[in-house]
Amino acid sequence: MSCPFLDYRLEANERQFDEPRAYCEAAARFVQPMRADICNDRYDLAHDSDCEIYLEHAGAADENEGKNEREPKNGTGNRSGDGDENRAGSGEDA
Amino acid sequence: MSYAEFLAGEPVIVTAALTGGVHGKETTPHLPETPEEIGKAAAEAEAAGAAVVHVHARQPNGERTFATERFQEIDDAIRRRAEDVIIQHSTGGTGAPDAARHLPLRTDPAPEMASLDMGPLNRYDHLTSENTRGLVDSLHAEMVERGVKPELELFNDGHLNEALGLLDRRDLADPVYGTLIFGPGTLTPPTPRNFLTAIDNLPAGAQFNTLGFGRHQLPFATMGLLFGGHVRVGLEDNVYYRQGELATSNAQLVERVVRIADELGRPVATPSQAREILGL
Ligand code: SF4
Repeated sequence: MSCPFLDYRLEANERQFDEPRAYCEAAARFVQPMRADICNDRYDLAHDSDCEIYLEHAGAADENEGKNEREPKNGTGNRSGDGDENRAGSGEDA
Repeated sequence: MSYAEFLAGEPVIVTAALTGGVHGKETTPHLPETPEEIGKAAAEAEAAGAAVVHVHARQPNGERTFATERFQEIDDAIRRRAEDVIIQHSTGGTGAPDAARHLPLRTDPAPEMASLDMGPLNRYDHLTSENTRGLVDSLHAEMVERGVKPELELFNDGHLNEALGLLDRRDLADPVYGTLIFGPGTLTPPTPRNFLTAIDNLPAGAQFNTLGFGRHQLPFATMGLLFGGHVRVGLEDNVYYRQGELATSNAQLVERVVRIADELGRPVATPSQAREILGL
């Protein structure tokens, strides 16, 4: 099961792509390809344990709503999703 | 390798890391993702002075794939435009199963080189690319079988110990070739002192490549040039040309480091010279 915050979009935030790309509705931005594997629960990865953005937003949703639903909630998180990831070239997976 | 090699004017091998597997076009529109884009970027990088291109494979939407078939498409696209450049496949893959990490080695022909991550590396807040010794040994065994030269990726000083351990466990063809990697997170902190310590701790006779992430790319490449090492640049590791200004291509980053090498009096190795240096 993929993350409930995951969407595939051709455009958002004034960016356009030829192929739909992984977009995080919690962070309100396109996500890095490596993180998209977490969003999609590929391999042994799981969005509900491996993504700090999910954990932050799901936790906020739980607190706000007093229940355990995982409704997408548009980006109010202070991490703004892939904050560190946009520090270009910090991807260490050579 | 040392300052003596610099003074001796030994050729420097420039590697262009064209695409990577972490960020994509969401970070910079100039990053090549498709086989055709990677092929074109490889040819431009070679024309600018790169002897080696380091490649990862992606799906059409930019996401990672480790499939042999996709690496084959990339290699074919490179070879249509650049007959001589040395192709180096990544075997990295945070979060991917060990079996998938072997797939990039299985193209026809095999890549001349492939990366070999020497130990654990943290990603984001909850991921670690484990790179166990078992995986390192099994990847190395397949590289030997297929005639692939390993490029040892030394993410931090502990991985220098891991390289020595690998040399104890297995026979590595001379020269041992390792990339010293500097930057944030699990990487060696990017200071000149750490760079000097790292080159002191290399296995005897090893050739080293120098990789600084992000804003450290240019200063560490320059240090690599000065201390007789080789250098890696490219959009996988750094997407900026200078602060606030995206690099427009891999070739632009190669051209800059070639210009610096020229000013410093280090000849830039052709692919043939690089093959000779690395014993390919
Ligand atoms: S980045 Fe995290 S929160 Fe956003 S879609 Fe992916 S897994 Fe979900």
